[in-house]
Amino acid sequence: MSETGWVPIALSRFIAPGTSAGTAVHGAEIVVWRDTGGKAHAWEDRCPHRGMKMSFGFVRGDHIACLYHGWEYDETGTCRYIPAHPDLEVPPSICVTRYAVTEAGGMIWTALPLGDMPEVEPNAPDMDGLRSLYIDAPLDAVLAGVKTVASEVSQTGALITATLGEAPLTLGLQTIDADHSALHITLPSDTPTATRLSLLDQFATLRRNVESPLKEAAQ
Amino acid sequence: MTQLVLHNYDLDDACYRVRLVASCCDLPVELRNVDMFPGMEQVSPPYLKLNPLGRLPILETADVTLRHTGAILLYLAGLDPQKRLLPTEASALAQMMDWLFFAERDLSVASTARAISIMDVPGDGPATIAQTRALLRIMEDHMSAQEIKGLSFFAGEEITLADLALFPAFALSRDCNIDHDAFPALRLWARRVRATPGFVVMPGIPDYH
Repeated sequence: MSETGWVPIALSRFIAPGTSAGTAVHGAEIVVWRDTGGKAHAWEDRCPHRGMKMSFGFVRGDHIACLYHGWEYDETGTCRYIPAHPDLEVPPSICVTRYAVTEAGGMIWTALPLGDMPEVEPNAPDMDGLRSLYIDAPLDAVLAGVKTVASEVSQTGALITATLGEAPLTLGLQTIDADHSALHITLPSDTPTATRLSLLDQFATLRRNVESPLKEAAQ
Repeated sequence: MTQLVLHNYDLDDACYRVRLVASCCDLPVELRNVDMFPGMEQVSPPYLKLNPLGRLPILETADVTLRHTGAILLYLAGLDPQKRLLPTEASALAQMMDWLFFAERDLSVASTARAISIMDVPGDGPATIAQTRALLRIMEDHMSAQEIKGLSFFAGEEITLADLALFPAFALSRDCNIDHDAFPALRLWARRVRATPGFVVMPGIPDYH
């Protein structure tokens, strides 16, 4: 797969300040975390010490710490503190690989190929995050499913706009791996609660319809 | 105050539920530690006398011996003078019970999946893990809807017994290789549960300090 450019990896509102989460793009594991000042980060999900997932760790101010041995990394990905050696001046070569990160349209994005730092920001309209829907299916199957229920479906890069019922939606598309995808569902901030709840139901049905034939085929 | 004795195994998630609820209700509990793994002490003759089902937790008082986690949790929440984990309104109470039964009955497969993974218990690992994941997804769907309604917890605006009964299965899911990646609403919910006064952890659930 040779997807390039910005890809959404989470809804902004689900990565609260001081928290981290794991995700993956085309099989590459990523930790997405937000420091207590509110800034988002996307790094390789691997502590250089013992390979533990950084997403299992915890955020302290503008540092993220590994769950295993508490090694702390600053926002540049550089290790700053090793609890077992509190007086050690940590060599600056101990670093976690950082990826491009930005926020637009209610989503947190990184860029492919990982490590690439695009100069132009993703072009996404201002929207509210509804939910990230994780589907056990390839993205192609998810897109086909969206097209059966939504109208005016149009895709630009990893973003599609579509109308479902009366609701104008923007959907962020994430290929987690060959068999797993995520849809980051966003909508205008003035969308009423009843419409939001109805959309949740419709997307849960969509997920079921997309997954069922694959599950049956696997049996 | 009634003396409460919990026959406990620290790594057992059901025993943890009892310790967690007792702590959040400010109830002192005397722990009697049982060698469940690898000793299987819960099926030794003295323990079979206490609980012929051969399971933990068991809560003993001067008056009663309780051996179902849900019954123990309800008893502790009722002993709390503030009744802080029990909704008074009928519909909220019913929703709490609905999720409490879900935790005790449906979600017991999560305990099984974890026991197969880490305690050498025989069983179908992949099948129980798939079932656990499907149940966590039901929880994720529910909390996604709750958030849209402006509700922070499973049965409403306030934390109830249901949240504490459900929490361990999610918090410990990595013990059987289910990551939290696909559960953003549960991640935010778990963070709120962690902020509850009296919240305690168990091995496998980091306290972040």
